[in-house]
Amino acid sequence: MNPPALLRMTAPLRENFDIPYHDLGPRTDTPRVACVAGIHGDEVNGTFVLSRLAAFLHGVAAGKHADHELRQRILIVPAVNVLGLNLRNRRWPFDGTDINRMFPGYDAGETTQRIAHAVLETTRPAAYRVDVHSSNLDFEELPQVRLYAPSDAERTTARTFGLPAVIERPMNKIFTTTIAAAWREAGGQNFIIQAGQAGVLQPWHCERLFRALVVFLTRIDVLHGPPLAVEDDEVHYFGVEQTVPLISSDAGFFVSRHPVGRWLQTGEVIGQVYDGFHGELRTEIHTPVAGMLSGIRRQPLLFEGDLVARVQSRHAVPSGIDTYLHGKGQ
Amino acid sequence: MRIDQNSILTLQLPYRERLHLRRAVFDGGSGPRVAVVAGIHGDELEGLYVCHRIAGWLEQLRTVRPDGLRGCVELYPALNPLGIDTLQRFVPMFDEDLNRNFPGHAEGLLPQRIADAAMRALDGAALVIDIHASNIYLREIPQVRIAEEFAERLVPLARGMNLDVIWLHGALTVLEATIAHSLNARGVPCLVVEMGVGMRITPAFSEQLLVGILRVWQSLGVLAPDIDLPACTHTPLLADHTNVYYLNAETSGMFVPQVEHWISVRRGERLGTIVSPLEGAILSEVRSPVDGILFTLREYPIVYEGSLMARIMESRPGARRTA
Repeated sequence: MNPPALLRMTAPLRENFDIPYHDLGPRTDTPRVACVAGIHGDEVNGTFVLSRLAAFLHGVAAGKHADHELRQRILIVPAVNVLGLNLRNRRWPFDGTDINRMFPGYDAGETTQRIAHAVLETTRPAAYRVDVHSSNLDFEELPQVRLYAPSDAERTTARTFGLPAVIERPMNKIFTTTIAAAWREAGGQNFIIQAGQAGVLQPWHCERLFRALVVFLTRIDVLHGPPLAVEDDEVHYFGVEQTVPLISSDAGFFVSRHPVGRWLQTGEVIGQVYDGFHGELRTEIHTPVAGMLSGIRRQPLLFEGDLVARVQSRHAVPSGIDTYLHGKGQ
Repeated sequence: MRIDQNSILTLQLPYRERLHLRRAVFDGGSGPRVAVVAGIHGDELEGLYVCHRIAGWLEQLRTVRPDGLRGCVELYPALNPLGIDTLQRFVPMFDEDLNRNFPGHAEGLLPQRIADAAMRALDGAALVIDIHASNIYLREIPQVRIAEEFAERLVPLARGMNLDVIWLHGALTVLEATIAHSLNARGVPCLVVEMGVGMRITPAFSEQLLVGILRVWQSLGVLAPDIDLPACTHTPLLADHTNVYYLNAETSGMFVPQVEHWISVRRGERLGTIVSPLEGAILSEVRSPVDGILFTLREYPIVYEGSLMARIMESRPGARRTA
C-alpha cells in the first residue's frame, strides 16, 4: 500500500512526485508527535534516522517487538525536499529556494510555499514536533537539541532526548520564516535537533540520534517498552550566553583532529591554519574558554572571518556575534 | 569634481587572492551624499549597467560643467562581487542570500561583513537607490518597491524616479534583513528598484531610470539646479495588496506567453498556455482574472505547479498609464 502523502504534484517532464510520510499508531487519534527531516536535501543523517525509526515503529505496530507497544499516533516525514535529496541539493533544485525560509507557506503560492504549507498543515495538530537537521556541508555538529526562545516546558522536555547537549540559541531575524518559527505560532512543544554534517552519513551520530528519539517517544508515552541501551552521557544544558564562537582572522587551510563532544581546557589548540601556497603554519586557533566542543569546521578552505568551531562554556560568556553566525545551519 | 575608486572591505580568500568590495566616488562638494547599490544578487545585472551610465554621465559632466556636481555620488555596482564574477545569485561558498544578512556584523561571516561594511559606508546618505533585476525567471517593468511603514517618506521620492509602478508592500518580517529595511530603519532613505530580468541587461530600462535618478538627485541638491536634464517620460501607477493579482501555474510544463509585457489586459483574456513537450494538447490556459496591466511576465518557460507566471495590477478609475 502506498504511504500517505502530504502533497502530490506534477513535474514538468519527469514523473509526478509526492512527499510521503509515515502515519503510525491509532489513526483515529490526533497525532501526538510529528518528526520531520530533509527540509534541506543534503542533510542525510536525519532522513536516514527517521526512515529507520519508521521501520522500527512499523515493526512494533506489527507485533515484531513483543516488548514494545505503540500507544499514540506519530507522523514521520523522512524527507520534505524529495527532489533535493535525490539530487543532493540543499535547496529546492528548480529555483534554488531554501524551503526552510518559506514558512508558513501558502497553498496557492509558489511551489515551495505550497510545500511549506502542506508540511505545516500536516504537522500542526501534533502536540510535540521535532525537526532534524545536519548543519551544512562545512560544519559538523554534536548531536544536540537546539532551542530558540523556548518555554519552560520545552526546556524540561529537551533533556528527555538524552542527547549530550541542549543548547539555547538567540533568535535571528532570518529564522522568522523557518518551520520552527511557524510551529511556535501553532503552540505545543517544538524541538530542533542538529546532528552531524550535511552531505555525509555518519553512523555514530545516526545511532545516537535514533536512540534519542526512541527514548523521547518512550518518555512522552507514545511508545511503551524497555529503554534501549543508552550511553551514560550526562545531558548538559547550555543557556543562550554559553556558546562561544571561534572565528579565524586568517584564511587558508584549516586542519583539526578534534571530535565533536570533546571537553576542552582554556587555551587548548582547536586547529591550525596553513598557507595553501607556501605550506607554512599561519596560526593556531585556541579556545579562550574551557568547555564542550559542540561544533567544528570540516571544510578546510577557510575565508578570513570564517567560523571554525563553537565551544559551550559552563559559564555565561556574552557574545553579540553569536546571533549572526548560524543563518545557514538550520 | 574629484573621482576616486576605493574598497570598503577587503578580505583574504583561502588561497592567495583577496576580495575587494569596490566603489566609485564622485565628489563635487559639500552638498548631499547619495549612493546607488547594485549586484547584491550575483545574477542581477541591470544595476551594474545603470552604474556604468551614471559614471559616464558624471565623467561627461566634469568635462562640460565641472561645478555641476554639488554633492557626492557613490556607486557600489557589485556588493556581491564573487557572485557577479561567477554567475551565482547568492554569496559563493556561503550559499547565503546577501540581502537577508543586513545589517550584518563586522566580525561575522563574509555575507555579514559585506552587509556591515555597506551599512557603515552608506550611513548618513541623503538617498540610497538599491537596484535589483528580478531573477532569471520573471521580467519586471521598472518599479519601486516600498514597505508601507516607510511610505510617507519614500513615496514622494519614488514619484520622481521616472518609473512605471510604485508597489507598496505590507510588513513581512523577513524583509527586516534586507539592506533597504535596515537603512530605512536607521533613517537613511533607501528606494528599492526592480526592473528587467536576471542575467540580462535592458538598456531602455536603464536609460529610463537614469533620467529619474538624475532628476531626483537634482531635487535633493546633489546636482546644480540649472543643469538641463531630460524630462520624465513615465508616471508611476500605485500598486498594493488590494490591486495586485498573482498568476501561479496550475500544473507543470512549459509556459508560453501570448502577450507582450506591460500591456493592458481584459478579464478572461488568454495570456498564455502551459503545454507539454510530450504531447500536442494544452495542459492549462492562463487567463487574466481582472482588467488591468500586466507588469510581471515570466521569461523562463519551464514551470512547476505554483510557479509564478505573471502579475497583473487591476485597473483603478483614474489610473494612468505611462505618459
